[in-house]
Amino acid sequence: MHHTEKHNFEPKIIAFVCTWCTYAGADLAGTSRMQYPANVRVLKFPCTGRIDPVFILKAFQQGADGVLVSGCHPGDCHYIAGNFHARRRFAAFRKLLEFVGVDLGRLQFSWVSAAEGGKWVEMVTDLTERVRGMGPMQEFRELALEEQWSGAIDTPELREAYNSI
Amino acid sequence: MTNSIDTSIYTAITEAIQDEARRILSERSVIAVVGYTAARRKGSAQPVVITQADDAGKLIFSAACVNNLAVYLTKAKKEIPKGGKIGIVVKGCDLKALVGLLGESQLKREELYLIGVPCAGVLASTAQPARELTGDTIAPKCRECDNHLPQGCDFVPDQRPVTLELAGKYSAEIARLEAMTPAERWAYWKEQFKKCIKCYACRQVCPFCFCEQCLCDRNKPQMVETTPRPAGNTAWHIVRAMHLAGRCAGCAECERVCPMDIPLNLLNRKMAKELKELYDYEAGFEVREKGPLAMYDEKDDQSFIK
Ligand code: SF4
Ligand code: SF4
Ligand code: SF4
Ligand code: FES
Repeated sequence: MHHTEKHNFEPKIIAFVCTWCTYAGADLAGTSRMQYPANVRVLKFPCTGRIDPVFILKAFQQGADGVLVSGCHPGDCHYIAGNFHARRRFAAFRKLLEFVGVDLGRLQFSWVSAAEGGKWVEMVTDLTERVRGMGPMQEFRELALEEQWSGAIDTPELREAYNSI
Repeated sequence: MTNSIDTSIYTAITEAIQDEARRILSERSVIAVVGYTAARRKGSAQPVVITQADDAGKLIFSAACVNNLAVYLTKAKKEIPKGGKIGIVVKGCDLKALVGLLGESQLKREELYLIGVPCAGVLASTAQPARELTGDTIAPKCRECDNHLPQGCDFVPDQRPVTLELAGKYSAEIARLEAMTPAERWAYWKEQFKKCIKCYACRQVCPFCFCEQCLCDRNKPQMVETTPRPAGNTAWHIVRAMHLAGRCAGCAECERVCPMDIPLNLLNRKMAKELKELYDYEAGFEVREKGPLAMYDEKDDQSFIK
């Protein structure tokens, strides 16, 4: 029986995985009865090459507190080079997110093969605990609640005109 | 004015462009020339397509010739007559965009006749088009330009620009933002993105935004919220920067046309800087089949992957 510690905050973790390696690795972890945080929601893709950076963005916008992207080790991609292309794309995307002010601690990339059930458990546990320590991802959530059409439209003159109606 | 920039060569360049356009049009070696012509307000300029040698006299080059005309060869190309070579007037920065389009198989070199402009710089704003070009009125992109003389063109006037050493505004601003904490950067961009009205002028003017259907317009599934709310705006700017990473030529047209004064070229330039550091790739005058994000090396850095 695994321990049932109570936490104040249960982060939502979205994992984008390739079906051939990491998904099979996660499956192995399951069939081997390994325990890992139930915070992770797994989304399966044909290959990491199919994981568009916009999916990561969308996950954060829809309330994810952390995102894991995982696929086959270099050289093992079932489409030969999908993960090599993905590696460059994600390297670039990380830099972009960092520049707009997203804390990269919430985003983890990994290679997990079909035989690495243990590594999958480790990846999910590490990210979950790290994000738990960081607290909820507020930035995108606050953004989604904001309705302001344009910052510049709220001027004292307009306010006065509005209040005089 | 000590920091005024010498644009006297633009008169001679105008004549050279006119002569060349007249020659190639009358020899029928091109069917049209895309260039600049004087617009209604004194000193202002606008893009023009001429098809007759007699119209060559309409062409000009001045510090108000800000547009990157390469965009007319992709998105708006349907408005340009088919069935022959097209001449186009390009500054160094415009040529880099055009070279990128050649690399992406959007254009064929043999279908173009390139008239390169030795360029000392253009104005930052055309609100007062007749203003003198100085270190204060020059476009920020020209401050850090290293392509004053386009290369690989079919014709380049003989004049050579004299340029001033000016401190780079983009690089300074990028460095300022890089020094901030993530939270401060988020606050900065939040304020900027909030202003966006989703007019898509930046997309319309960009030579590389040539997709017939943009991901940001799709609604099944909707990847990017289309309403001009802070959330959708942020997503738009991130997706835009990502789709242009490794492709943007730094012509800064996007930033020039933004009605809300969002410094959006900072994102593109930051990405260009990162891709140079990561993969030693830079937009230039040499046509390359693949950009940095369309190729890979088995030894690429993966220190960020566990
Ligand atoms: S960036 Fe360079 S080539 Fe382009 S307009 Fe400025 S000075 Fe001319
Ligand atoms: S993103 Fe902006 S600077 Fe880059 S090519 Fe497009 S219009 Fe030019
Ligand atoms: S031009 Fe400016 S306001 Fe218009 S969509 Fe682009 S960033 Fe937004
Ligand atoms: S098939 Fe797993 S990364 Fe390509």
